[in-house]
Amino acid sequence: MDIKTMKTQDVKARVYDAIEKAKQLQPKLNAVVTFIDVEEQLEALKQIPNDAPLYGIPVVLKDNVNTKGILTTASSRILSNYIPVYDAAICEKLKANGAIIIAKASMDELGMGGTNLSAYSGPVYNPYDTTRISGGSSGGSAVLCAAGVAPLTIGTDTGDSIRKPAAYNGVIGVKPTYGRISRYGIIPYASSLDHVGYFTTTVADAAAALHVLAGRDDRDMTSGNEPVPAYETLINDDIHGKRIAVIDNIIEAVKEEAIVQSFESLLTKLENRGAVIEHVRLNDELLSVLLPTYFIIANAEATANHSNLDGIRFGVREGGDSVEEVMINSRTKGFSSNIRKRFVIGSYSLFVENQDKLFRKAQKVRRLIVNEVKAVLDQYDMILTTAAPTIAPRPEDSVDEALSDTYLIAENHMIIGNFTGYPCMTMPCGFVSDMPIGIHMMAKPYCEQELFNIGSAIEAETGLKGITAEVKA
Amino acid sequence: MNYETVIGIEIHCELKTKTKMFSGAPVSFGAVANSCVNEIDLGHPGTMPCVNKDAVRLAVMAASALHCEIDPLVKFDRKNYYYSDLPKGFQITQQFHPIGSGGYVEIETDAGKKQIRLNRIHMEEDTAKQFHNEEGTLIDFNRAGTPLVEIVSEADMRSGQEAAAYVEKLRSILNYLGVSDVKMEEGSMRCDVNISLREAGSTEFGVKTEIKNLNSIANISKAVDYEVARQSEILSAGGSIVQETRRFDEASKATVSMRKKEGNVDYKYFPEPNILPIRLDAAWIADIQAHLPELPDQRKARYMSEYGLNDYDASVLVNNRELAEFYDDVCRHTKEYKTAANWTIVELTAALNKSNRKLEDHPCDPKHLADMIQMIKSGAISSKQAKTVFEEILQGKDPQSVVEEKGMKQMSDGDELLKLVNEVLDNNPKSIEDFKNGKDRAVGFLVGQVMKASKGTANPAMTNQLIKQELAKR
Repeated sequence: MDIKTMKTQDVKARVYDAIEKAKQLQPKLNAVVTFIDVEEQLEALKQIPNDAPLYGIPVVLKDNVNTKGILTTASSRILSNYIPVYDAAICEKLKANGAIIIAKASMDELGMGGTNLSAYSGPVYNPYDTTRISGGSSGGSAVLCAAGVAPLTIGTDTGDSIRKPAAYNGVIGVKPTYGRISRYGIIPYASSLDHVGYFTTTVADAAAALHVLAGRDDRDMTSGNEPVPAYETLINDDIHGKRIAVIDNIIEAVKEEAIVQSFESLLTKLENRGAVIEHVRLNDELLSVLLPTYFIIANAEATANHSNLDGIRFGVREGGDSVEEVMINSRTKGFSSNIRKRFVIGSYSLFVENQDKLFRKAQKVRRLIVNEVKAVLDQYDMILTTAAPTIAPRPEDSVDEALSDTYLIAENHMIIGNFTGYPCMTMPCGFVSDMPIGIHMMAKPYCEQELFNIGSAIEAETGLKGITAEVKA
Repeated sequence: MNYETVIGIEIHCELKTKTKMFSGAPVSFGAVANSCVNEIDLGHPGTMPCVNKDAVRLAVMAASALHCEIDPLVKFDRKNYYYSDLPKGFQITQQFHPIGSGGYVEIETDAGKKQIRLNRIHMEEDTAKQFHNEEGTLIDFNRAGTPLVEIVSEADMRSGQEAAAYVEKLRSILNYLGVSDVKMEEGSMRCDVNISLREAGSTEFGVKTEIKNLNSIANISKAVDYEVARQSEILSAGGSIVQETRRFDEASKATVSMRKKEGNVDYKYFPEPNILPIRLDAAWIADIQAHLPELPDQRKARYMSEYGLNDYDASVLVNNRELAEFYDDVCRHTKEYKTAANWTIVELTAALNKSNRKLEDHPCDPKHLADMIQMIKSGAISSKQAKTVFEEILQGKDPQSVVEEKGMKQMSDGDELLKLVNEVLDNNPKSIEDFKNGKDRAVGFLVGQVMKASKGTANPAMTNQLIKQELAKR
């Protein structure tokens, strides 16, 4: 259900219906970490004009978005008792625009993963087939939007953590330009790659949500000063003459025939609408090092970002005979072994003797990749590719950032959006074996409107506007 | 064996800003523990740094005054280490691109003038303060995030005297700039002194020790002297120096080992991703540089050339910024610069020491002192009377009213004084006779008698003249 339709219902009814639905689905999806008592928010809503864009709309936050006085765990054991003393910048924006935050959604531990299997509260399941994964790291948020609990759910995206689960769960996933939405109050993963974004079921809702969430925030020095347009009122699905680049070496890397076919048939439809589709290639060598480059930068930043989690000032504190021992014990027990492994890798790449051949080299490669992609976008309005190369896998078949040859490029190309900071959006374009599949778009910096315009045309072609999953009993 | 002492000094200085380096929490010394903190200072998840523009301004001032080259592209880096006084688990500093590089400080010791080169000056944030007691460790986060500049010298100093002179000079410059409180005893200025010895003539560096906990300039000199003697003794006995951090123990006047350093710690520095490089406007930098306050060396030169003070007096004034500023205020109201300097250096300082007060909380008005000096000059009061007047000025009183209240007017009226002189002469025929017999001393005696008769109010110069004049008539 989209925001517009939902607004026709009684405020209290729609909020409590959403909570009720989330609670009913919880045993099957396990998407929620914390349900929020909304009484206070409904009371505060009386001060908000009832034509506010999100007036009385139930919204879900990924559990790395700080909520003052409400448990915020980032799905990690070390923060399993953490109650923030302040609201994230986007919480303030959501509340000021009438949103009612009903739940905190599960995620991969500290955002570090792509399956949502690493959450401290356990795996999250796909509403189209609960034997399959949600994907991650914003798995809970993706699933709660896809299952029709809330029309807008907040996620974050460091590698493809909004866009991959969006594709797996048949919803729209938006990762806007780096700096478009304030990161203040978001528990970080890797600061130079972290983006705040969200899930919706319609392009109109996606445009309206960005209008609410975007804008300069002085508390986040990386946030941009560009004015925020009323995207939702500017949507124009006439894509005549739009220049769209398809990256061939990404599409060629997709092994699922059905996914490629679906993508190609969409291209034809867009051409019929007057879009100019051209095929380009990116440097193969650069594409093949996307994942290792990402892994080094992300883990290096993460190891520093999470050094504050030591059990001293907040979080779960383990005993010890000295302050140092308390820190060591708290961190050893507080993180899963996979997270600790990432910290070791991050630290290793930062050691003086390794920085040149690992961390700094990765930064240089990142720059080369950005230049390569920028050159394409200098010629085109957007880059269009497949999103995930498969339907959502079952847990036992899932690979998480492993250097597997099978899908090295097709599985990881969305990382380019984090390297460049350019705005990206994934949206459903069809079904394969009754599971949703998606496409991925990337535009020039701050050109989110392009994504919404072309997305609107795609929505018209696919007929998948506002779809949600009926979870089978 | 003859050894040469090699000293390099790192100084951390808290910048005098209203708020912290990367957060909006207030900076204050001596506030209730953990009352000047917000989520950023405590390193809570999701917090992000926001650079304090005023801290950058003060750092640019300091770098400019120290002749450094300013890097107009401000960048910050993370220095990673785990310690309970470091809330984020990293310190935001400027490892790769300090705001200032190069530069120098000119010092003067018994050996003459010398330039101490600077390696760099960079901005960073302070850590929290820890208190260890029997029950455990208490942490006060008020200091966490306070803006600092770290000033790193080259290893250019060769003695405790030079080290002390360097710190003194640097402290004076920063004090004149008003960028820091520079109070070593309160920790707003902290020195780490690196000392090593090497064979005279050698160009290689010996193994160094680092001395911390130096809370006064006097202690720097003492600590260096102790450490030089200690290292020299070890080396002379064929031993080797252990690289370590030592602290100066005030009670024993000795340096004591704190911890051994096993090679260099790897802080895994990397660029702070949450602060994109900031390009400083060239006009903004130029404006700061054009409006730097007068620095100690410039002020001393001005005192000597404009006010005609000697080197010693000028130095004494300049070495105490508050006193110098008071002196400048006095000189706005009188041109008797040397007299003003004397009163400021001798009498005012003595009075302050006696009352154990600081100039800033003293009611003494510089204009009052200037007025008094003018009264001495015009002969309205005598120098002796002035001392009494000064006592009252120190209480905040206006010299004119003091003179009137106490009936202190100097007798400078010719007729009145002449009458008194003749009375004295009439009463001292013996002295007149002495004078006639060539004993000039008699004049002094007679002047003294007039002063006595006038209760000290007679103008001495006039009295002297009148006595000579009247004696000639007799």
